Amino acid sequence: MKPNSKRYITCPFCSLHCDDIQVEVNNNKFKIISENIKDCTSKIEYFNIKNSSNLSARISNKKISFKKAIDSARKMINNSNDITLVNHGTDVNGVRSLLNFAANYNCVVDHVNSKYLYRNLGIIQRKGYMATSLTETRNRSDVVILFGNNILKKSPRLIDKVIFPKHSLCTNLKSRKLLLFGDFDARSVKKMKSKYRVEHFKIDLNDTPEILSKLMSEDKLTKNLEGIRKTIKKSKYLVASWTTSDFDKCNDPDYIISSISDFILLLNKTSRAACMPIAGSLADATSSQTMSWITGFPSRVKFNGKSFFHDRNICNSQEIISNQNTDLAIHISTVNHNKVTLNDKIKNIFIGHINSTFNIKPDIFIPVGNPGIDHRGIMFRTDNVVSVLLDKIRENGLLSTQDVMNMLSGVHD
Amino acid sequence: MNIKLQGGKVYDPINNVYGKRMDVYINDGKIIKKNKVKGKINKVIDCRDKIIMPGAIDMHTHIGGGKVNIARMMLEELHHDHNDGCDSSAIIAPTTIKTGLKYIQMGYTSCFEPALLPINARQAHSEMADIPFVDKGGYALLGNDDFFLDLVKKKASQSLINDYVAFILNASQCIGIKVVNPGGINAFKFNQRALNVDEKSNYYDITPRTIIKILTRAIYDLGIPHPLHVHCSNLGVAGNYLSTIETIKAAESLPIHLTHIQFQSYGNNGDRSFSSAAPEISHYLNKTKNLTCDVGQIMFGQTVTMSGDSMSQHKNHHHAHPDKWMCMDIECDAGCGVVPFRYSDKSFINGLQWAIGLEVFLLAKDPWKVFLTTDHPNGGPFTSYPHLIKLLMDRSFRNDMFEKLPKSVQEHSILKSLKREYTLKEICIMTRSAPAKILGLKNKGSLGDDCDADITIYDQNKKDVEDFFANPSHVIKDGKVVVKNGKIVNYIWGKTQTVKPEYDAGIEKILGKFFEKYHTMKLDNFKISDDEMTNVIGSEIKVNECIHKRK
Repeated sequence: MKPNSKRYITCPFCSLHCDDIQVEVNNNKFKIISENIKDCTSKIEYFNIKNSSNLSARISNKKISFKKAIDSARKMINNSNDITLVNHGTDVNGVRSLLNFAANYNCVVDHVNSKYLYRNLGIIQRKGYMATSLTETRNRSDVVILFGNNILKKSPRLIDKVIFPKHSLCTNLKSRKLLLFGDFDARSVKKMKSKYRVEHFKIDLNDTPEILSKLMSEDKLTKNLEGIRKTIKKSKYLVASWTTSDFDKCNDPDYIISSISDFILLLNKTSRAACMPIAGSLADATSSQTMSWITGFPSRVKFNGKSFFHDRNICNSQEIISNQNTDLAIHISTVNHNKVTLNDKIKNIFIGHINSTFNIKPDIFIPVGNPGIDHRGIMFRTDNVVSVLLDKIRENGLLSTQDVMNMLSGVHD
Repeated sequence: MNIKLQGGKVYDPINNVYGKRMDVYINDGKIIKKNKVKGKINKVIDCRDKIIMPGAIDMHTHIGGGKVNIARMMLEELHHDHNDGCDSSAIIAPTTIKTGLKYIQMGYTSCFEPALLPINARQAHSEMADIPFVDKGGYALLGNDDFFLDLVKKKASQSLINDYVAFILNASQCIGIKVVNPGGINAFKFNQRALNVDEKSNYYDITPRTIIKILTRAIYDLGIPHPLHVHCSNLGVAGNYLSTIETIKAAESLPIHLTHIQFQSYGNNGDRSFSSAAPEISHYLNKTKNLTCDVGQIMFGQTVTMSGDSMSQHKNHHHAHPDKWMCMDIECDAGCGVVPFRYSDKSFINGLQWAIGLEVFLLAKDPWKVFLTTDHPNGGPFTSYPHLIKLLMDRSFRNDMFEKLPKSVQEHSILKSLKREYTLKEICIMTRSAPAKILGLKNKGSLGDDCDADITIYDQNKKDVEDFFANPSHVIKDGKVVVKNGKIVNYIWGKTQTVKPEYDAGIEKILGKFFEKYHTMKLDNFKISDDEMTNVIGSEIKVNECIHKRK
């Protein structure tokens, strides 16, 4: 890359995978110069290498050569009886390599966010479901409803990219309405209200099913809700969006998500409406899509020779690890450096982001590059239909997850 | 490495060879003439009691992309098929590995995904790259995307539209263009629930006829070998044969391929307002020069329907079995719908659909114009092809099956009166040579000199047709024996077949602005380069030639 060159990159760090982020690259260092991600502060720091010494592999927290780390990891793997692979986020080729490894060593493979995946998947596994994607929402919706409280904090660019962009193909943006159901940050709401047509209905998320049921009934409603009912009934393309973790504290998250989907199905009898869940901050969609085409199951698979089986309870990695039904956990985490919780009663190999932090030090730490920064790769966006190409913009010698997993599998022996 | 297939009965329709006993020579992945063999023969396969054909080609099978993965996830409870040494995935929504294994074991060496959304191309190719053994390719969906409809609405020149079509083929690494329910998927996003061939869409004010006319012209002008691949308007609707005929006319004598035509051959006569219009459709097929079709035969049992036709899938979701389904609007590009379905041999409608498909096959005079498909998995899984071939080749077997259907079905079909039995020659044409020809695969579907050594060797001693086609003794892919006596002996990975017509780069400027203004990704991210195909997605590409230079 030419010195001081400016270029656009695709961000690997949240499920929107924005590709309009401009960076200036100089001698393998880069500076983000785009204004549009200033609200994504928690993501920007993932780009940075804090300290070059972190590039080293470590055994029991002591620096060691990369080759020795791989050799030691292979020894540990060969001495283990039950290996569990926990995916905290990697690209398509990373997932492919995990599955290849799992087939060689009869492992369980799980994604750390599987419980959220199953909440959304539950709808299509039980009943009907109408879905839409980011660009459809941007160009066709006249009403967008967000359920939750943290959805905009987690994906701030939903506003400027999707809900209130500068241009929309088929709808008048001035009349587009955003309805917020839940406990949204008051200051942000106020700010949005000054620019756009936004209404905030502070509700207990547990009441979502009841409120939606009322809105679709002929019952008399409060003035506020009556206004919403009119908006909904007039809408021509309504989009409902949520992020499943926002329902963590609710009594029955599955029921709430199901009620939103039912509400959308009902609207489709006479008009058009669709769901668009926002999920995948740990490359969840990349994992579930790739696992589905290779194994038939989106997560939680146990390999056994040529065959494998799936059971979302038996193959729950968190349960397996906390019950010590495994003697070696291999954690793979390349899209952030969030704190990873390890169990000190079993062996732990960590393959991941150089700045990762832990409750206890892993037995073996093998740093790998970030897809989209240190190596090329593919990741899926939240809508599960668009996958993006992530480019390499920095050369620091870090290998990809695929490279490392293949070394551990002995693919290149 | 030289291989000799010694003394087999050879069927090679492209070279006009039918049942002739001869030797076939292979060198480094290619078939070569005897006089070109250099050095010693390294391996001889005794084929004296064998029948040799080119590897089979499935030109319409849903094997990759978002909708297939939705089906896999939706129907998790059906993944309990442990009977065959593969993984447990259901054959109606198999894993990529199982897809490759089952195809190669049946002697299929190339398969084409017919509904590849350009915006979803990266996923579809990534999935297909994980299918072992076979070559693959995709048909890019156009005709419901807002950019195209906007061009048509603004009366853009045919030349500009040709640039767009050519760009899409290059950017999505596809080999053909398909249109599904022309304009209908887009109209559904504006809440239209049906769109007839001469009905204007509410928002763009464009008829399906116009879309067909423009796209068939674009493909002809660009010299793309495969004609426009059309899933017609009103799929599955009683009386839809009229829409099908109007769609044929919309092409204005330019080449057109109608897909899963069984689903488009329905009349609305009789006491149940549902009847066979196979004779009417076959009449058009036989008399229209540039018309080809694949059948989309249905098979009784559980399957899952997956289609870009979200309008029709939403309409049909009430028939879902098990009772769950999904429809999606996708990126101002297209849509999709996944609806599981069980075809029952006790049902009048399903029974008649089965008979209609067979009627279409048996009334088609020219096997070069009709292709054997079940629209996997929409009509049934591809593993039912050997059974379907037996239905076509064995009249008494066919009639026995027909007599098991409800009397009402038998009264509404002419099937029993059709005495035709397909010959081995005709089956070879419709499953090998004809698909290769219609897709422009010059090196496939033939055992001629310098063709790809994709070869299926059948055991002549197998007297049951279904057993014969289900269990070839050897399958050779790219010159390597990959199946021997039904067992996989070699794992290899095929290529992605593409075509790259030329276009004026100016279209990228126009489209780039459109993406900047309306999309949520950049045009650069939409395009898939050859380098990405090979080094990130994981499949080498083979670029096939266009028929002629752009007109």
